[in-house]
Amino acid sequence: MGSNKKYWKGLEELEQTPAFVEKSKGEFSESIPVENVLNEAGLSTKTPRRDFLKTLGFGLGAVTLASCNRTPIRKAVPYIIKPEEVTPGIPNYYASSFNGRSVLVKTREGRPIALEVNADSTDINQGTDAVTAAAILDLYDMSKLQDPQLDGKKTDWGKLDTTVKKALKKANDAGKEISLVSRTVNSPSTLLAIAKLKEEFETVNHIQVDPVSYSGIIQANKESFDKAVVPTYHLEHANVVVSVAADFLGSWLDGQRHTQDYIKTRDYKSLKDGKMSRHIQFEAGLSLTGTNADVRIAVKPSEEAAVLVSLYNEITGSSQSGALSTNKKAQTAIQLAAKELKLNRGNAVVVAGSNDAQVQILVNAINAELDAYNQIIDLESYSKQYAGDDASFKKFVDDAHAGRIGAAIFVDANPAYTHYKAEEVEKAIKNIEFTVSLSDRKDETASLANAIATSCSFFESWGDASIREGFYTIVQPTINPLFNSRQIEKSLLAWAGDRETSAYDFVRKNWEENILVDSGKSWKEILQSGFFDNTPSESAAPSFSGNVTDAINKATQAAKEIAGDIELHLYEPSVMRDGHHANNAYLQEVPDPVSKVTWDNYAAINPKFAEELGVKEKGKIKIKANGYEADLPVLIQPGQAMGTISVALGYGRTKVGKAGNNVGINAYPFVSEINGNKRFTVKASAEKTAGIYELAQTQTHHTIEGRNIIRETNFQKYLEDPSSESGQFKDEHKTYDLWNKYESPGHKWVMAIDLNACTGCGSCIVACNVENNVPVVGRDEVRRRREMHWIRIDRYYTIEEDDKKYTKEHDIKNVEDFENVSVVHQPMLCQHCDHAPCETVCPVLATVHSSEGLNHMAYNRCFGTRYCANNCPYKVRRFNWFNYWNDSRFDNYLNNEFSQLMLNPDVTARSRGVMEKCSMCIQRIQAGKLEAKMENRKLEDGDIKTACQVACPANAIVFGDLNDPNSEVSKALRNERVYYVLEEINVQPNIGYMTKVRNTFEA
Amino acid sequence: MSSKESIIRQPLVTGENITYAKVTDDILLPVENKPNKAWWIGFTIAGLGALLWVVSVGYTFWEGIGVWGLNKTVGWAWDITDFVWWVGIGHAGTLISAVLLIFKQNWRNSINRSAEAMTIFAVICAATYVVAHMGRPWLAYWIFPIPNQFGSLWVNFNSPLVWDAFAISTYFTVSLVFWFCGLLPDIATVRDRATGLKRKIYSILSLGWNGSVKTWQRFEIVALILAGISTPLVLSVHTIVSMDFATSIVPGWHTTIFPPYFVAGAIFSGFAMVQTLLLVLRKVMNFEDYITMFHIEAMNIIILVTGSIVGIAYLTELFIAWYSGSEYELYAFQNRIGGPYAWAYWSMMTCNVISPQLFWFKKIRTSIPISWVLSIVVNIGMWFERFVIIVTSLHRDYLPSSWAMFYPTWVDVGIFVGSVGLFFTLFLLFLRFLPGIAVAEVKMLLKSSSLQHKKKQIEEGLFPADQVEFFKERLDMYDSVTEEEISEIQN
Repeated sequence: MGSNKKYWKGLEELEQTPAFVEKSKGEFSESIPVENVLNEAGLSTKTPRRDFLKTLGFGLGAVTLASCNRTPIRKAVPYIIKPEEVTPGIPNYYASSFNGRSVLVKTREGRPIALEVNADSTDINQGTDAVTAAAILDLYDMSKLQDPQLDGKKTDWGKLDTTVKKALKKANDAGKEISLVSRTVNSPSTLLAIAKLKEEFETVNHIQVDPVSYSGIIQANKESFDKAVVPTYHLEHANVVVSVAADFLGSWLDGQRHTQDYIKTRDYKSLKDGKMSRHIQFEAGLSLTGTNADVRIAVKPSEEAAVLVSLYNEITGSSQSGALSTNKKAQTAIQLAAKELKLNRGNAVVVAGSNDAQVQILVNAINAELDAYNQIIDLESYSKQYAGDDASFKKFVDDAHAGRIGAAIFVDANPAYTHYKAEEVEKAIKNIEFTVSLSDRKDETASLANAIATSCSFFESWGDASIREGFYTIVQPTINPLFNSRQIEKSLLAWAGDRETSAYDFVRKNWEENILVDSGKSWKEILQSGFFDNTPSESAAPSFSGNVTDAINKATQAAKEIAGDIELHLYEPSVMRDGHHANNAYLQEVPDPVSKVTWDNYAAINPKFAEELGVKEKGKIKIKANGYEADLPVLIQPGQAMGTISVALGYGRTKVGKAGNNVGINAYPFVSEINGNKRFTVKASAEKTAGIYELAQTQTHHTIEGRNIIRETNFQKYLEDPSSESGQFKDEHKTYDLWNKYESPGHKWVMAIDLNACTGCGSCIVACNVENNVPVVGRDEVRRRREMHWIRIDRYYTIEEDDKKYTKEHDIKNVEDFENVSVVHQPMLCQHCDHAPCETVCPVLATVHSSEGLNHMAYNRCFGTRYCANNCPYKVRRFNWFNYWNDSRFDNYLNNEFSQLMLNPDVTARSRGVMEKCSMCIQRIQAGKLEAKMENRKLEDGDIKTACQVACPANAIVFGDLNDPNSEVSKALRNERVYYVLEEINVQPNIGYMTKVRNTFEA
Repeated sequence: MSSKESIIRQPLVTGENITYAKVTDDILLPVENKPNKAWWIGFTIAGLGALLWVVSVGYTFWEGIGVWGLNKTVGWAWDITDFVWWVGIGHAGTLISAVLLIFKQNWRNSINRSAEAMTIFAVICAATYVVAHMGRPWLAYWIFPIPNQFGSLWVNFNSPLVWDAFAISTYFTVSLVFWFCGLLPDIATVRDRATGLKRKIYSILSLGWNGSVKTWQRFEIVALILAGISTPLVLSVHTIVSMDFATSIVPGWHTTIFPPYFVAGAIFSGFAMVQTLLLVLRKVMNFEDYITMFHIEAMNIIILVTGSIVGIAYLTELFIAWYSGSEYELYAFQNRIGGPYAWAYWSMMTCNVISPQLFWFKKIRTSIPISWVLSIVVNIGMWFERFVIIVTSLHRDYLPSSWAMFYPTWVDVGIFVGSVGLFFTLFLLFLRFLPGIAVAEVKMLLKSSSLQHKKKQIEEGLFPADQVEFFKERLDMYDSVTEEEISEIQN
């Protein structure tokens, strides 16, 4: 039943006024001005409200729709069938070897991301050198060739093999030599592959040539002991080491092995036992080794032979002519050194960097006299790293010119760059009918070759190496070849007619048949351990049978050839080495351990000598020698012998890749020869030339200004009082704190750094870069002082004159003699201060303290005021000035899909505008703690190691838990030598440094 | 209202036949008419500067802070130098409007408006650096403790940068309110004389000002309250800015003298900037009768006093650096005096300590051209002061291995020059649309402190002859009062 109620809309309705009646007739009470709107007049009305609303509605809708574009989703596809050994998030380690050193390749989800030392190895087992640590970047190098090449064009392997085989056959049939030019090959499998090739083509001649050769030593040992080898040195047995221009901790022979051994008599453990070796260095340029010497005397290259003659005379009591007659300082040092050497007979050794066989014979005579062949110099388990023979390569060039060579195969050799007469080599190569290069890129030599059989890196190959007699390491692949490349052995085998045998079978068969015979070890065990040690047992010291007088006469004569007002000293830098890895941006950006220059080589000259030449910093000089001239930027180098210029080899490459092309100046053409061997010293002339060139240095102030940030003592004082000069408080004193004490109830992560062990080599820097995805910024940015390294090595000079030491800028101005410097290297990284000044000033709490004593950095929270960096007294914080990951200016590094594969997935890649710094490898700490937790056990000392610690060949860095009184680091920090940098400002740093101890003569 | 003000006091408004209407007409002239050529030239140049600022800041935002010359050692340089410089300049406004109001220094009435406007624009310029210097400026709001969806993330109340954000934003807000409240009667005046759209806009802006006694009473009370609030701000803002440095551990920054020294420096630079602007303004806008030589001299005296305080602070710093026995502290100052940036230190010393001492001479402090040049010299000096404090302290601090030099890039320079352009653009727009002198407040002076009024009183014989003579002598320095006018004054 409906309601009868009636509601009126108004009085008008009730009263039914005529107006209302009229209005209620229509649907709308007022007529809608449809016509007005629809006709033209309506559209031109002043406010077409509807139009406005329509437009507004459409606009809003359109904008909304346009902005509804979905963010592209990149799906991470999980394994459909999970490989048994791969667990996402858990790294796998595979034993392999690099440059003959046993290493572990760390892989994540199938990608190799780092190289670490194989600590179980019985050879080199402590740290990696910078080249090894950086090698991972070479794997992902975009500048490598992606396909085999024939006549400069991409080809396939079948065609390439056919062509090569035809050419080799042709040469062989014509009776012409097939030269196989390589760097030193010590891999048993490669050598076997070469032997197989030789079986197929009998004219194959294997020529080994090293960019920086040691053929003089080989020759000398042949003449002295009838053993044509480079010896292995066991410096841990040496109480006294005298080096004449041998950078044995850096690039001379095997710097890493020497470092590992050398430190054993100098680090905190040795000092604890009251033992320290003495190291005396005579050299022209300040080398890494020179900076570590207890006594360093600057001598000119032409004086080196005389130094050795004097030493020989002093030791043997003979009076050979040619002894040092100039340089009073050196003479005194020689007398003292000789005395030391004689006192330590059997535990003393002399090494020399010269490649002149005559000089090396003299050195052999001295060492024989010192009984160094008993335990220090090892000719039995000799080094197989440098077997290059300069003379045979010379013959190759001559033969090629004469047309006697039918074909040439270049195996990982680049003589068109590394040879001093590169033009002749080029002509020679062009004169050979067919050349093929087995290299990974179109380098200087490969670009001249008819064919390039693109080789792959050791990460992608099966193989092996034997760094010294009796010690073998295995190379096992950890990733499929990224490009269409083929490993060298397979190419050689293919040309020998065997395309079927896989590299794996080939290497395994060789090991099982030739190496592991009767050893009781299986191939599987070798794959696990990565090495096989079959070092020959020691035999009696060889007897010296060289002609000393003849050697001295010849050496003296040779020295006269280079004596002059200006002597040029060429050296292999300890980081960049011979230039083979010049495209490795990590290595280019590691500062030279001494000069702190990145991305360049330079002419190092003494400050006073620079004055004589009229050049200043940022100036350039033109050096002429050996019929070659080059303009080089000047580096003012204290410690450099007057009248000498040191120039690094390995720079100025033109065809190595994006990062390394045209970096620095090629100095190889300055190399000359002596008795068929390469000679790295030469008489030169130099003059100032126009132009300004700023070297990219990471450190531009070189002295400590009298501050106690470096504390050093000498061995004598140390023996009297181990805490000498460490500034440790003996008595109680009251301190006051503004801040609350941070409690670290569980762990407290701290570090101890031994300044006496650190040689300054810089491998920790690379390892840290790799571990923590630290960007490479390039030369320009380093010039702007913006390198991103989380750990750096501060290097300070003390200028010594007349027994006075100068470290202050305004005192040094008055110094006359800049040849005498003492140097100290101080690794500097975030000190994880308990009262961190960075933490209090961050407005957004982006950097905070952890309950384990760490100073954390929350990248996501940081908005980049940089106040923390300003307030950091150690200046270890690094700001992301640009988006280094996605900026075409930083193309030489991680700006492509390949190199991004090497990122450590455990560490965030930082965006532009945030601060970053050392985290003490927090990801490793977490991983270590998790592992212990999973295994339901207590975390043990040594479970967690930081990347820099693992990489350190000198074991100078100890990391661990201070709350564990038995941990290595706790013990180290209880050492009397420990001090904390800037402890007086009470920021309470957590990294303890141990005083530098020098075993000087005066003591 | 006619009051008897001592004749020993100099007149604050000069000119003949000054009536309320004339004051209004004179001051509103630029607001009510089309701008003249001088304005357009100034505006074009300033506008180009502002454009440079937009380009430089835009480029920085696009590319990252790397386009500046900063490095791992020197994390702040021109950015924070400019920031502190602008904040410092922004100090005079509040000091003039608040502190001088409380102390009943009514000579402030003719200069407070422009000074306050200058303050606001200077603080705006300063604030732009706060954002621009950040690595990720789009997250600038994180500086404030606002509730967020990131969990319990909060700001660090220990950090002086947080204090700074509060100090600057409070200062800006209070200054803006103070300025706007002061503008109300004048906006109402413009409204009443305007027509059309202009009238509508000014009506809205005048917040219903109706000129009633109650309105005036409230206006006075608000002014007093705001003055009370802003007076501590004058001290606090630069104190807190100085704490950005003082609470750090950087040698050369870690100094307890900073708060008073920074405040004095801020007033010093602020008055210099007011001087720079007003000397031009009074000439171009014909405000000579309202901004008189008395004002100029008074401001010069303030510059002299604060400059001397700053000078003493510099010397104290040097003494303490030596007396502290801290080698880092001592080195920081030795490095300022004789290091690679010594030229900046000595520029600062010359501009800030030596040049204001010239104001001891009356001739100099009453000379318009010299005052103007010196006012600019002072601000150059004050820029160098901040540069010296920031860069020379940072570039050589504790570990010599990290010592580095700072070299600015074009972007650094562009942002600074651009910010000056931005400042002048805003200031010129202000002069175009709002009265540059507080009309109402100047009117208050007419019947107490104007020359006309004093003359009348003299004529009435209210003052003894010796006082009149003294008064006449003092009138000598006024460039807006002619010799004849002075001689006309008869007892």
